[in-house]
Amino acid sequence: MSTPPEMRDLAERLIAYESDADKSSDTVQSAALRVYEKLRLSLVAFAGSSAFESFALRALTQAKAEAPSLGAVQVAADGTLQGFDGFSHQMDLDLTGEEGTLLIAQLLNLLHIFLGEAVTLCLLRDGWPGTAFDVRS
Amino acid sequence: MKTAKKVTIKKLPTGVPGLDEIVGGGLPEYSFNIIAGSPGSGKTTLAHQFVFANATPQRPALYFTVLGESAIKMLRYQQQYTFFDPAKLPDAIRFINLSQVVLDKDLGAVLEEIAKEVEKANPAVVVVDSFRTMVRKPKSDMDLQSFIQRLALSLASWQATTFLIGEYAEDELRDNPIFTVADGLFWLRQTTERNSIVRKLQIMKLRGQASVPGLHTFRITEAGIQAFSRTFGLTARKRNPPGNRRLSFGVPELDKMLDGGVREGDSVLIAGSSGTGKSVLATQFIAEGVQRGEPGIVAVFEERPEAYAERASSLGLDLETPQKDGKLTILYLRPLDLSVDETMQSILDAVQRIGAKRLVIDSLAGFEMALSPGFRADFRESLYRMIFALTGIGVTILSTVEVDESFTEFPFSTYSISFLCDDIIRLRYVAIDDQLRKIMVVIKMRGADHAKEIREYEITSKGVAILDRRLTDYQGLISGIPVRLKRSDQEADDSEAEDQT
Repeated sequence: MSTPPEMRDLAERLIAYESDADKSSDTVQSAALRVYEKLRLSLVAFAGSSAFESFALRALTQAKAEAPSLGAVQVAADGTLQGFDGFSHQMDLDLTGEEGTLLIAQLLNLLHIFLGEAVTLCLLRDGWPGTAFDVRS
Repeated sequence: MKTAKKVTIKKLPTGVPGLDEIVGGGLPEYSFNIIAGSPGSGKTTLAHQFVFANATPQRPALYFTVLGESAIKMLRYQQQYTFFDPAKLPDAIRFINLSQVVLDKDLGAVLEEIAKEVEKANPAVVVVDSFRTMVRKPKSDMDLQSFIQRLALSLASWQATTFLIGEYAEDELRDNPIFTVADGLFWLRQTTERNSIVRKLQIMKLRGQASVPGLHTFRITEAGIQAFSRTFGLTARKRNPPGNRRLSFGVPELDKMLDGGVREGDSVLIAGSSGTGKSVLATQFIAEGVQRGEPGIVAVFEERPEAYAERASSLGLDLETPQKDGKLTILYLRPLDLSVDETMQSILDAVQRIGAKRLVIDSLAGFEMALSPGFRADFRESLYRMIFALTGIGVTILSTVEVDESFTEFPFSTYSISFLCDDIIRLRYVAIDDQLRKIMVVIKMRGADHAKEIREYEITSKGVAILDRRLTDYQGLISGIPVRLKRSDQEADDSEAEDQT
């Protein structure tokens, strides 16, 4: 399933927000990976790690169909990504790197499908307190 | 000496229409409650309604999910209910999954995790869904008992009102320590009765206040759970003392037979076979009330409100205008799986909405057919509760009932409900001079005098008209096949002359 444009747009905004928010830090993680991690922590607390792992696996499979370069990436039992760091350096150079955006967009899309827009946006508020994201169609 | 004041227990709204009344005004604050029942009985929905009714960003609700229903799927479905307000997430309502702790660690660690979250959030409400899966592997009974005790104490100390949700069978009630510790025990049941599902809830225990005992019907709709108290929400209402006011039927001769009309607050039964004019009389009763400024409700089961109003119109009775003016409501109740309590709720809502003084139930047979088969067995008992509740608030009820015409008996009702009625008017056919004519008799008027005579009547274009002529020449009228008395020629001439005048 190709990434719906509105989810791609939301993913790009999250990544951009995370990138802006963390410009000063020395973190080696890409903004996309930090978005993923925030989503993971929020969703694991909310639904449990196995539920998140299932979602992440599905999102990764969908993203791989569009970005074969994600082929080496895997989801661990706790939902963390393995093999992502292999190209995180590349994403640091380009903060809207296609693979990261696709993966986040697919994850958001799954949440959107299962929980709807309102609850998905509420869950984002958990990871990004004080910010208000919306889904632009 | 000054008497020290007792502690005041605040009552929290349950968020479930009808349930506050059942639990005695609301749920005691800081109570430790169990919601038990079989899968699909509405446990999670009940907890959600309570959570959404009480959680605020200042005093949020923590909703702990364990193994079992995934939180994602739970929210997917729960948000379909109208009470679900996504804006309350995550500040006022937080969902926290404890599966990993439960799987990896012991009950002590689970308690620690709950305590940590509670300390952090200072919640007003805590829900554990499902508690059953959380405690599925206690090291011992003591381990379980100790866990429950500490959990209950800890949550109460943090001033949280708690719900533990679990799939329990009733035979576990005796031995499970959870039921001993709980302040409140809500049991939800659903049973299949032929083709219908009947849902009932019972407050098996509620410390600190009196709840309404017994099984209460509830329904799950798009608005969530709605409960119907067995007392119809009227326990707090004072019963009106029986008045002496008489209500006119709109049939002057019948009013005379009733010594001035129906006593206000009475329950009247009109019994007769098909075509005897029960509905016509009922329509005249309601129309007369509306004309006299007494708003009315007609609950119909066998025809649509439009058809009912149209039939009234053919009798010269206008039921359209008072409906538009809010003086009359015609309720059509026939979803085929109603409980009496739901029907009552619809009627009560309408009574309160328009301040109704008169209620017509046309007919009891239709009412019974509209009920789920499981409720039909309790029809008489339910009817008793309904009539008692409504007449208690001063509503005068007129019910019609069809009885099988028999030429050997004179039944008042097929339901053996005549004891529920203050007044009974019986209509029936009689065969006289090769004609099928109609007679009417007032069988009883509780605590009041009434005419004992049998009167002949006709249904005219203006409704029921009681004829002046008396059927004094006949014996055995109520059998339906009367015998003409032998009289002298002079008596017959006099009688004929009387009829002509």
